[in-house]
Amino acid sequence: MPDRAGFALLARRAAILAVLAVALAPVVWLFSIAYKPTSDIFASPPQLLFSPTWDNFASVFRYFNLWALLESSFIIAAGSTLLSLLIGTPAGYALARAQSPRAVWLAYFFLVIRTVPPVATLIPFYLAMRDIGLLGTWWAVIILNTALNSAFVVWMMFSYFRAAPASIEEAALTDGCTDFGAFIRIALPTVGSGLIASAIFCVMFSWNDFLYAMFLTKADTKTISVALLSAYGTKDISWGTLGALAHFSTLPIVVMMIVLNRYFVQGLTRGVH
Amino acid sequence: MAAIRFSHVGKTYPDGHVAVKDLNLEIEDGEFLVLVGPSGCGKSTALRMIAGLEAITEGVLLIDGAVANRLSPRQRDVAMIFQSYALYPHLSVAENLGFALRVRKEPRALVEARVGETAAMLELQALLARRPGQLSGGQRQRVAMGRALVRHPQAFLMDEPLSNLDARLRGQMRVEIARLQRAAGVTTVYVTHDQVEAMTMADRVAVMRDGVLQQLGAPRELYDHPVNLFVAGFIGAPPLNLLSGALRSIGQGIELELPGARVLLPQRLAQSAALLAYRDREIIVGVRPEAVLLTDKRQDGLSGVVAFQEDLGANMVTTIELTGGARRDGLIVEDLGESSVPRPSNRMRINAQTGARRTGYQLVGVELDLERLHFFDPASKLAIL
Repeated sequence: MPDRAGFALLARRAAILAVLAVALAPVVWLFSIAYKPTSDIFASPPQLLFSPTWDNFASVFRYFNLWALLESSFIIAAGSTLLSLLIGTPAGYALARAQSPRAVWLAYFFLVIRTVPPVATLIPFYLAMRDIGLLGTWWAVIILNTALNSAFVVWMMFSYFRAAPASIEEAALTDGCTDFGAFIRIALPTVGSGLIASAIFCVMFSWNDFLYAMFLTKADTKTISVALLSAYGTKDISWGTLGALAHFSTLPIVVMMIVLNRYFVQGLTRGVH
Repeated sequence: MAAIRFSHVGKTYPDGHVAVKDLNLEIEDGEFLVLVGPSGCGKSTALRMIAGLEAITEGVLLIDGAVANRLSPRQRDVAMIFQSYALYPHLSVAENLGFALRVRKEPRALVEARVGETAAMLELQALLARRPGQLSGGQRQRVAMGRALVRHPQAFLMDEPLSNLDARLRGQMRVEIARLQRAAGVTTVYVTHDQVEAMTMADRVAVMRDGVLQQLGAPRELYDHPVNLFVAGFIGAPPLNLLSGALRSIGQGIELELPGARVLLPQRLAQSAALLAYRDREIIVGVRPEAVLLTDKRQDGLSGVVAFQEDLGANMVTTIELTGGARRDGLIVEDLGESSVPRPSNRMRINAQTGARRTGYQLVGVELDLERLHFFDPASKLAIL
């Protein structure tokens, strides 16, 4: 007979399981339909036991140039992440070390930029990209993601640099470094976890970006998130194909999150302090 | 090695706060100068101005005879030791030690030789591969020292380098730093709020308060001849006892009126023009805790009751309350802000090398060493003699 503490523990675990079930049910369903024949997908009640099929994966490989899609997604995510870090990190550092109290306001202003709904900026960006001849190229999406994500990096790195003691940079200055040298050799390595956390967010934002990629790329530069839409046909929706494609669009991010989970949580909680 | 000179140097922050006011100070080549004072007195700001980490808003700073106001820290060739040690957390001890040399693109062989030499001097050889995070407080402190020593700089700047250590280690490192400085002969400016460090390590001490230099001199000079009540109260532990008194003419001599008793001043003091000017006026009398003797109660002398005794082993510090003065309740040692000028009271602390245990509230006699009295003007707080 469990005591009161035992019951409390049981109740807590049950609550966690319930929340997990609600959160994971759609994901499980999405992944599971990839292995079901079309007839089983909408079986009611949903079949937990079914004979798995690879047909949906076969049709993904048949109808989609999967490697090109993944390549686009990868190039856009990597390119915009790299540029965002290159621009946002020195800016965050400068704000963190600025003497002016207005620097904090400015840092928050950058965070606000990231909260602007992308769709609001789509038309001006579209026209701008058309006019400078980048429409349909990876660069168009890289530049726009960089514009939004670098603002986020400014804010993230601002808070990381703020938490790092300025005295070690002063030590570097008296040891003979220039301001830039102290930044590169001393300040940057001490906020390595912040750089990783920022990079995770940038990769996630860019990899999952649908809107800009949808309107600014063309057939040979489109990303996997855009390809998901192709499963929607004019007459029907190929749910099985969608489920199979979803594997390829989510697995890289999931793997990244599992490997770098520690930094991601650190980045999330950083702004709290 | 270089001389450092402040000439009318001031620092005013954009918000109007004045950290350092009209500082004039010459630190000689090879000298160990300690800047001491309560927190917020401007001592760290002055030090950081030498390092080039703080902009100078007024006056001129000369390092080795050249104006240094606008030189960047790297152009000044001074090594600084920080209160937090400021070791580079991502570099090993060896890399921390060699950092300044590598930045200056010294040949690898020289870097290795100097790092080895410094590590041997500070007994850090076994720790060279470790990161700062894996070191104890004392070891970190030694690495911070080594990082400065390895460079053979023009000057060492030390910003409260011992304040994060425990008392025992602090005592040891005090000796080590003073010894290393004498051996290297490098001009050193050392900032501390601990007057014991100032007294034991310095060639000369500069006492600061509220951004203003109060007194500059050898430790002994500050102890024996403080220029004002602030310095008198700041230097020395236990601090100088301050009593309210008055000077009265009596025949050819001068009598000092203290709570509950009058004492005749010796001839030398009675003839001093400075003191004569204060005849029949109120003054503040300062007496060092070791310039007082506890005796048995006598009829005509100063007397008091024992309030508390601190047995320090070699010394016995007795706090007494003079009879005849206004009684005060509350704390034995008045709780004043660090930067405040101490006020006279009828309480005295007496520091004797040996001493019998006295029970509380025992009535005792007090004998002052009249040759070692200090006199202060109650209004200006300046020393009279």
